[in-house]
Order: sequence, then structure tokens, then C-alpha cells
Amino acid sequence: MSTEIKILKQVLSKYSKPMTLTYPSAVAPERRYSQIPEGLRGIPERDKDKCIGCRACYFVCSGRATSIYDKDAKRTVEIFLFRCTFCAHCQEACPEEAIKMTNKFEIAVPNREDPGARVLTELDLLKCKNCGTPYVTKKLVDRTYERLMEKIDPIVKETVSNDYKKLDGYCPDCRRAYGVDLDTHTKKYVWLEGV
Amino acid sequence: MGIMDKARIYSPWLYHLHCGGCNGCDIETLAALAPRFDVERFGIQLVPSPRHADILLTTGCVPKQFIPMVKRVYEQVPEPKVVVAVGSCACGGSLFYDDAPENYAILGHPDLLIPVDVYVPGCAPKPEAIINGVVQGILKLAEKRAKK
Amino acid sequence: MVDLIYTLVSLIVIVPLALFLGVIYSYLLRKLSARFQWRVGPMFRMYGDLKPLLGTTRLLQPLYDILKLYGKETVVPDVSRRRLFVYSPYLSLIFAVAAIFFIPFPGMPLLSGVPYSLIIASYLLIASILFTILGPVASGSPWAAIGARREVELFLVSELGFVLCVFAVAIARQSLVIWDISSGGQSVYLALLTVTAGALMLVAMLGKLHIKPFDMPEAEAEIVAGPYTEYSGKLLGTYYLTKVFLLYGLVALFISLFLPPIATNVLWLPIYIVAAVVLVFLLTVVQVLNPRYRIRNAISWYLKVAIPLGVLNFVIALVIWLVV
Repeated sequence: MSTEIKILKQVLSKYSKPMTLTYPSAVAPERRYSQIPEGLRGIPERDKDKCIGCRACYFVCSGRATSIYDKDAKRTVEIFLFRCTFCAHCQEACPEEAIKMTNKFEIAVPNREDPGARVLTELDLLKCKNCGTPYVTKKLVDRTYERLMEKIDPIVKETVSNDYKKLDGYCPDCRRAYGVDLDTHTKKYVWLEGV
Repeated sequence: MGIMDKARIYSPWLYHLHCGGCNGCDIETLAALAPRFDVERFGIQLVPSPRHADILLTTGCVPKQFIPMVKRVYEQVPEPKVVVAVGSCACGGSLFYDDAPENYAILGHPDLLIPVDVYVPGCAPKPEAIINGVVQGILKLAEKRAKK
Repeated sequence: MVDLIYTLVSLIVIVPLALFLGVIYSYLLRKLSARFQWRVGPMFRMYGDLKPLLGTTRLLQPLYDILKLYGKETVVPDVSRRRLFVYSPYLSLIFAVAAIFFIPFPGMPLLSGVPYSLIIASYLLIASILFTILGPVASGSPWAAIGARREVELFLVSELGFVLCVFAVAIARQSLVIWDISSGGQSVYLALLTVTAGALMLVAMLGKLHIKPFDMPEAEAEIVAGPYTEYSGKLLGTYYLTKVFLLYGLVALFISLFLPPIATNVLWLPIYIVAAVVLVFLLTVVQVLNPRYRIRNAISWYLKVAIPLGVLNFVIALVIWLVV
């Protein structure tokens, strides 16, 4: 009986203030949500200006939620939230730090086709100078050039840079076809081996 | 809006169906039903039998052995009913499901078996997200009528 | 003639009134136990921005539950004994409503003045509970069978306590008519009997209404929903309605038997309401402070505590009758 009295005392001491939050209602904003911690992994958000469409996120995605497809001169990078485990692997892998996990978590949607179920980024594709086929994003070309120049051996730097600029604007098929005309064949690197 | 329509919105009863999964979403669901979020404010109650339920809350992706049970529980819930899929596994299969090659043990998301009305992605979704999904479920329930 | 018409009118009036009061009592039970658990419970005043969707108040929440169940599809299992399964809830409801006709309300004597009304009322309350056992047994579900078996066991012991305390009062007041008992005077000895027999009645009410610690017939963690596992839609709604009427009926019976003369004069109505709320509050306190008993423990507790208390009541009642 003494235990019951103890419990009753404890219960009655807090009687006047329930600890319930006001969640779906916004009448008391400070009591609306429970704790939202600093590093909460909510919906991933992709910065369209930073994304270069390099597929790094596609390769690391653990739930195969990320997919990339090219259509009508646009490259679409998509995260399907129904398959996403919010593991932030893509955030870690992204070389451009374009993906950020936000702390938004209210994502209930009524059907699979709902726009809220996907995080979409559309990037423009470059068209081949020669045949007109869209093949890669402009930013990817530029960034690859930058990174290449950072790390490359100074001896070949000039040659490679020249070749890169010559090839800029051609799709992989055309590069192969016109490699001799443009004088970008790797044959010419052979003499470097002796250096 | 008649009193019967109002009553349907005012007292949605939940049945929690765990059809295979890691238990993360179940713990969050129970947190959503606990005093901190107290869904009884809006007349929502957790009921023990699917025969009493209005809203079927499914978590996890369905193992092949569990297929008949999921179908049966869904059919036991009397009309009008709403299915809320909680968690990424229940929405799209997440890590466990793929079309090809097919998993030998896991069928995939319950959507392949029963019509789902509201999806709550998240791994696991916060209790607030679950309540948000249930509220959307109530809105869908308001549109449905009992079969005559 | 005037009396007859008044009785007929009051018989018609008491049903919605009992429903309303029963709904309020059930709301109080839910709300108070929620507040004891540091949560809000069914909201009395809904948040301003949610009012258009979720209504201004949930004071009638138990009624909404029942109405919703009436609007739902009713499933009857193939393996059930169909007739018994379908008619039991309605018979249970009819007996519960019939029982409240024999229990006076302030300003409305109803049928409480008929000879042996105490026996009739107890019989009807028992019959109402009997049909909450028979229907589930006919459903063919093993969970319902276990729940019904537990309910039978609990019913046997709690009914013994109920009968002991009710008839102790009847012996002390030398009457089997509820109206005579509830319009009688008070004395020190009768007040003593009110305390001891009232405590026993409260315990019997816990058993009849399946309030913790005696909710093992519906123990949802063990046996799904107990007796109500296979019930759905209208039939389940009818059982919930029966529960509401039973809650009203038992509270009214408590007040009319143990707290005379509150239940007789219309001027006592405020005090009647206060007494009922206090009673519901006591039930809530017991509910929130106790875990669920196992059926074995509940029966041994009854046999060790409640039945000796009931015998003590009888002794006190006999002393009052013979000596005072």
C-alpha cells in the first residue's frame, strides 16, 4: 500500500502539467516539436549549382535510392525517398559537397508518384560539336580539367592540357573517330616513357 | 458533414502490423503513441484486434513467409479503412528489396500486396512524421464510406 | 394517473440522459487517467488551428467511438454460431437499459418503487454481463474463448462480492425495494455500513467494468482483445454502448444504495453529480495505480480480502437490524 501512496504522491505532484507536445498544431511553436538534434539526417537536398552529375552518389547509395538518367539533353539525378535509408553516404562521397542532409522529416505522401517522394536535380548536357549528341555536363568537364591539372606531372602538363582543349566538345564516339585528325592519339606519349 | 462522417474522423483506431523489419519503426511508432505525443488527444487509440481498426499501420518489408498473414489482416479490417506505410522499408523496400536479382526470402514493400494510402518514408521516421502520416490518413478516411 | 404518465415520460427521458451521463463518466475515466499519466487525453478544448478539421471539443469522445462503429462494416465470422453471435450484444444492451429503469435518478423514481426492485436490478445487471460472455463464446475464436473463460471466473467472484454488499444494505434497511432504501435516513451505524459495503461495491464495479487491476478478460497484451476479438462494426458498437449504460447504472446504483437520500429529490441533483464524479475519480485512481492481476491472483485476492469483507458487512447489517 505504501508503494501505491508513493506513486500517487508522485503522480499528483506533476498533475497540473502534462508533458504532451502540441505536435500537429502550431498554437505553441516552442512546444510543437520534440528535440531535433544537430546532426539529424532528414531529407537530403542537392545544390543544383554545385552538382556536376558525376555519379559518385549513385555508386555509394546503399539502398539504391539514387538513380541517374539522361533524357532530352538533360541529366536527371534523382533520390527516391521511399528507398532512402538516410545514411548520408552520398553526402560523404560527393566531391563537390553538393548534397546536404537537412533536418526536414515530415515527408508523408499519398502515392508513389507524388513530387514529395523524390529529390530531383536536372542538369543541362553539353552537345557534341560534331554529331550533336548530348553526352556530359559542362561542369563535369571543367572540374575534371581542374583536378587533372592539380595532380598531373609537370612534364606532360602542357601536352595533356592541349589535348584536353582539343577534345573539349566532342562526344566519346567522335573522339575515337577523329582522334587521328585532332592529333590526340595516346601514341605520342610513348616517347615520354624514356624520360 | 453529417454526424457519422464527423465520428469517423474523430475516432480513428490504429492497428499496428509489423510485417518483418528491424523494429526501428516500431519503436518510433510506440513513441508516437506514448504520453509525449499522446495521440489520444484526437481520439486515436491503439486497438489489439484488426477487426476494430480503421487505420492499418504497417512497418517493415514483407518476408515471403508472411504474405498470407498480411493479406489476411488487411481483409479482416472492416471498411472503411486506410493503410499507412511507416518507414522506408514499408514504402519502397529500401535495402532489402530489389527487382532483379530477386531476394529469396523477402517479397518487398507491402504495397505489392495491399493498397497503401499514405507513405511515411524515413529510417526510422520521427514520431512527428508518423503522426503527420496518420493525420493524412484521417483526411483520406474522411473521403471513404462504408460498403453497402 | 398523473403518476403513471410521469413514470412513462421519465422512462423515455432516462435513456438519452443515462447515455449522456455514461458518456461523460467514460470521458472522465479516460481524461483523468490520461492526466494521471502526464498526458492530455481526449481534448476538452481542441487547438485553435485544428478546430475546423478535428472539432471544438471531445467531451463526447466515447459517443463518437460508438457512432463510428455503427458506421462501419460488420463482419460475422463463418465459424461462429451466427444467431447467438449477432443477438448477444443487443440482448446485453437491452438488459443494461432495463436495469437502469429500476435505479432512481434525482426527480425520477422510475420503476424503483416496484416490489423486489433490488433483486430485479441485480438480476438484470448480471444478465447483461452474461450476454457479454455468451456472444464471444459463440464467435469461435480461441482468444475470445480464453477471454470469456476469464470473464466467467472473474464474474463468479465479483458477483459474490456485489451480492454480499448489496444485500447487506438491504438487510440493514429491511427492504428489498431500491426506492425505500434510497429514500431512507442516515445514522452512524448505517454510515459505517456505507464505508465497508461501499468499498466492496467499488471493487465489484471494477470487476464488472473491466477496470484495472481486473481487466484480464480484455488483456490486450496477452489475448488480443479478449471476448471482443471477433466483434466489429455495429455489434462491437453495441457492446461499447452497453458498457456506457453499465457504467451509468452501477454509479447510479451505488449512489442510491449507499448515499441516501441523494438519488431521490431533484434538489439533490448537484450533489448527485458531484458524488458520481468523485466515484469515477476513485475508479480512475485505482485504474492508474494498479497493474493487471492474473486471473488466479484476482480470485485469491477476492477470496482473501473481498469475501471476508462482505461477510463482515453482513454481520454489521445483522447487528444493525437486530440491535439498533
